[in-house]
Amino acid sequence: MAGFEYRQAEEIRNAFAGQGVRYLFLGKSGALLLGYPDTTQDADLYLDRSPENGRAAVLALRQLGFTLDAQQVAEIERCKDFVQLKNGPFDVDLVFAPDGIEQFEDAWRRHIDVEGFPVCHPDDIINSKRAANRQKDRESLPRLEAFRDYWLKQRATEEDA
Amino acid sequence: MPDAAHSGEIPREWLDEFEAAARRPVATRWNYGLVKTYKPVLDDAEYRSFESMEEYRQWCEANLPEWLGYGRV
Repeated sequence: MAGFEYRQAEEIRNAFAGQGVRYLFLGKSGALLLGYPDTTQDADLYLDRSPENGRAAVLALRQLGFTLDAQQVAEIERCKDFVQLKNGPFDVDLVFAPDGIEQFEDAWRRHIDVEGFPVCHPDDIINSKRAANRQKDRESLPRLEAFRDYWLKQRATEEDA
Repeated sequence: MPDAAHSGEIPREWLDEFEAAARRPVATRWNYGLVKTYKPVLDDAEYRSFESMEEYRQWCEANLPEWLGYGRV
């Protein structure tokens, strides 16, 4: 099956930035960008909930090659809570109301920039998975929490240097 | 395999993995990490949408094989 290559992640970054989409990488794809060693199948994108942002996201997705019909466009523009897209060059989940994160602005304030990719802070990634409470998330939480501790320590070391 | 509960000290095995990943360029981290394998039912539709995360979770529990791990604990 076709993979989801880094250059395609860059295309997301560039297309979303070009359309002014306010979003953050969440989930394991976000953790991977931060340096967490694991695997995932798709990119989970947390989008700020507003009609303007929904419209900008549709423009960006079409630019990326996603085929969206009128109903799908309408649902994304009105920021339907969870949208799974597998009708493009790669798989993307659009999350407008993730479990465990109250407000996009709060997550944005805490976010991390990784080579131009806006990524949720590890604490938000963890809180989201903890709140989702799925079997697979519960199994991965201890290692993700350990990574968060490692990552914080590395950041503190870099800032002191 | 390290103890599942994270008590504060990072198991050596995990620490080695974190340090190895930290040395990789971001592109390599991504390319190593994005692995597509077929997930029954989940990958059988090109588009799905849900009015709420609760609705999505319930759909997963009702429709996905249990072994995929999408059910809530």
